Amino acid sequence: MDIGILVAGILTLAVFSFLYKDNPVYKAAESWLIGLSVGYALVIFWQTTIIDLLLVPLFSEGRLILIIPFLLGLMMFSRFSKKTSWLSRIPIALMIGAGAGVAIPAMLYARTLKQMSASVMPIIENGSLNIEAPVVALGVISTLAYFYFSREHKGVMGSTARLGTYFLMIFFGATFGYTVMSRMSTFIGRVDFLLTDFLHLIK
Amino acid sequence: MDRLRTRWIIFSGLAIVVIVSYLITIKFKTAPSPATLKAYKYLDTLPEKSVVIFSFDHEASSLPEIQPIALAMLRHAFKNDLKIVGLSLFAEGTAIGYDLLSKTAREYDRQYGSDYIFLGFKPQYISAILGMGESIKRVFPEDYLGNMTDTMPIMLGIDSYDNIEMVVSIADGDRTVQWVEYAGARYNQKVMAGLTAAMITSYDPYLSSEQLYAVVGGLRGAAEYENLLDKRGGGSRGMLAQSAAHLYILALVIVGNIIYFRNRRRRGGG
Repeated sequence: MDIGILVAGILTLAVFSFLYKDNPVYKAAESWLIGLSVGYALVIFWQTTIIDLLLVPLFSEGRLILIIPFLLGLMMFSRFSKKTSWLSRIPIALMIGAGAGVAIPAMLYARTLKQMSASVMPIIENGSLNIEAPVVALGVISTLAYFYFSREHKGVMGSTARLGTYFLMIFFGATFGYTVMSRMSTFIGRVDFLLTDFLHLIK
Repeated sequence: MDRLRTRWIIFSGLAIVVIVSYLITIKFKTAPSPATLKAYKYLDTLPEKSVVIFSFDHEASSLPEIQPIALAMLRHAFKNDLKIVGLSLFAEGTAIGYDLLSKTAREYDRQYGSDYIFLGFKPQYISAILGMGESIKRVFPEDYLGNMTDTMPIMLGIDSYDNIEMVVSIADGDRTVQWVEYAGARYNQKVMAGLTAAMITSYDPYLSSEQLYAVVGGLRGAAEYENLLDKRGGGSRGMLAQSAAHLYILALVIVGNIIYFRNRRRRGGG
């Protein structure tokens, strides 16, 4: 048997042992997972960021402009000392400024403007009633009413906001149902691995 | 009954239900959802040699659910002789993406460098997505194996999203949103997704607003895709087990409620 499959099979069973109760075998498997994930990510980041984007271009290719991001990166470590921690505000400010500048127009377009235009649908489509249109309109208006706190939720406003909570509950219910399905799929995926690759019980 | 014993019974029951369902060989046909059908039809009608990006934007922990989706879509792409550019915007997805891509390529006898390439991982995903709109070779000067990308035959005619027909983001989180927001909104790049079931509702607004072209979601999505492809895989194998597990959970919810109301009545709570 392939050593990788053997290790993966034993570790899968070790993780499943938690379903009975917490135990040292489970804890060992959990620690390995965390350690390996962090170690792997660290190596990948070191190679793809520090080596590929900084050290090689700066020292081998002589791109001196990279001294600026290098220094800004070093400033982040100034947080470890109270005396110098103010220096870290410079790269943080740059990151937040640039990040917001890039993200805000894109998010405004994709998450607000496009969603708004998608919420407006024709009620009559190809000569027949499009039932989705009034349901979406009602859902959007009532859910927004629920999150509108500048006016007391009484009267029409109260009933609309209450209707909004039902739409929210439907969303949460669907999300929870999908999450259960997702967790089941993960479990089924591991059982599939154990029965086919590890134990060879099915082909 | 103490809590530990109850838990043991519930989990053992679930394990039995899933394992027995696996050992029963019933072919479970699932009618494709509109979103899966749309994804399948798109890849199916692309001309040969069209270029598709597969981005493996997920953690290792979601592999059991993600793998059948990724394999089904990769098999479809290789079967139709599409050129695949693989990459990852999530560190953990790097080795997994390369492994899935090379494994599927071997099934269809496709050659690395001319039929497919894996560019590896790039940190700062927003810069990477935006940068690829200008030049993919500048964002990824080297591939995962250390080859210079501009010397690889597959990359000769590829330099930006202008040469890419579709981005397929295989994700378990919100990385697909960034593909939609930056590659889609800014460069008009078509994006579709292979997602874990837990993420489907989060992506529905993007699907409804047609910012996301199509979604293949969860094990069910993988099974639907495998049926369309007529190639049985992890999704189809798991469908009976998933349905049985859902019925088991439903039964537990009903039994739990009956016990709760019976106990409440006994205590005189009405």
